[in-house]
Amino acid sequence: MIYPIEINNLHYKYEKDAREILNGANLKVAKGETVAIVGLSGSGKSTLIYNICGIIPHIYRGEAKGQVKIWGKDILDMKLSEISTKVGIVFQDPDTQLFSPTVEDEIAFGPENLCIAREQIGLRIKKVLETVNMEEYRLENPGNLSGGQKQLIAIASVLAMETEILLFDEILSQVDKEGRIKIREVIKGLKEEGKTIILIEHDLNNLQIADRVLQLKDGKLEEFKAGDIIGLHRT
Amino acid sequence: MNIDPRTKLIIVLCLSTLAIFIKDILFLSGILLITIMISLFFKVNILQVLREIKRLLYVLLAIAVIQSVFSTDGQVLIGLGKLTILTTVGVQKGLEFIIRIMIIISSATIITTSNSREIIQGLVQWRLPYEVAFMVSIGIRFLPILREEIKDSIVAIQLRGIEIKKTPLKKKLYIYSYLFTPILVSTIIKAQKLSMSVEMRGFRAYERRTSYMVLRMSYVDYLIIFFSFLCATTLAHLYIDQSVLTLSSLKRMSYFVYNSIRLRKFL
Repeated sequence: MIYPIEINNLHYKYEKDAREILNGANLKVAKGETVAIVGLSGSGKSTLIYNICGIIPHIYRGEAKGQVKIWGKDILDMKLSEISTKVGIVFQDPDTQLFSPTVEDEIAFGPENLCIAREQIGLRIKKVLETVNMEEYRLENPGNLSGGQKQLIAIASVLAMETEILLFDEILSQVDKEGRIKIREVIKGLKEEGKTIILIEHDLNNLQIADRVLQLKDGKLEEFKAGDIIGLHRT
Repeated sequence: MNIDPRTKLIIVLCLSTLAIFIKDILFLSGILLITIMISLFFKVNILQVLREIKRLLYVLLAIAVIQSVFSTDGQVLIGLGKLTILTTVGVQKGLEFIIRIMIIISSATIITTSNSREIIQGLVQWRLPYEVAFMVSIGIRFLPILREEIKDSIVAIQLRGIEIKKTPLKKKLYIYSYLFTPILVSTIIKAQKLSMSVEMRGFRAYERRTSYMVLRMSYVDYLIIFFSFLCATTLAHLYIDQSVLTLSSLKRMSYFVYNSIRLRKFL
């Protein structure tokens, strides 16, 4: 069976680090599944998804062993630009993801890079803005929006790439309560659409969206037990 | 009225070229006046610009004084024995420099009335590679981030009980050198995160890319471009003519002096 995401015995050590941050991690995510990954700060959650989206080893170097496959293809055999057509990632800090003067330009950036026709880009912008419920902000400067709104635009920008796999790296951590509720609704909607989602989380409230919760402990992924909540918080 | 960013770039190009080319204080003052009028036409907040220039005033004055000191031509205004400190030509050159910089800064504000995406698109439609145009725009975007970083670090230092304003200059410089590393590191991390985000959105996935925004020049743009070139060449022509006139009058004057000397010798 070919999985959208498949990780086999992944080991990873940063260049100047003595210990392995990932120590034989295994993961298989089925199509349309939403998996949440929890773990303490510094446990390697972000490193794991950087491996999935190809940031490691294409941008960050280090010592890696094992295999990461996207739809059955090893990421080492794929260029970052090819991976970006299959995997979309939203990062924690919305400020370092938005760089265009208007929301419309921000969303158009990805499809433009993928040589999508102009008319199609227009349709995608309209669609994703409806998905995140931000239609009235189309010509607004992203810099003038609130933290939650900025994160919604960052999500919309990734959604416009129309990737089947979505990775969310603690996207709710820098957002206020109202923004968090809105983003959670958006993620639920994406799940219903059948997207394959990996959610890196610190907040136990956000785990309800997930079909499966895994914990990253000592560089390995294991099933999350309700009792293992030390270091995690509930808001 | 929506003016194409390329039209604005041409206006700026004409004004700044004239500012560099012309070396006459009256002409330069006229160009500065024209620049301010054009900026007002484009609804630039000129007071804000002047406030920004005010911050640079000390630097400008220092450069103007240095220029004055190194120009020994003209009448000596201030001197120490045989050493000339300030001359009339020096003062003139210093003033020219200040006006020239003011023209360049004021004209550059005209471009700021278009957003960075429009400017990139304008440059791309002028056949500049997208990567280069994008790099310039991201570079400009990083200036306010750098300023914020510096501000935050200074506030953090002040919150630890150090009053920067009351600190002597030598110690102040020491504190600033102490801040340099964290500011630089934090800015590099932000740049790295931004580049990851850009890469993950397919930047340079293909050799070419489409563009949702397409700029089209209207007849008003063509009219403005035509008048910009016309005015710039007319001003340059007037300036050259005046210089030639001054040169010929100088020649005539020297001929007159030479003849007067010869006449006096003869008598």
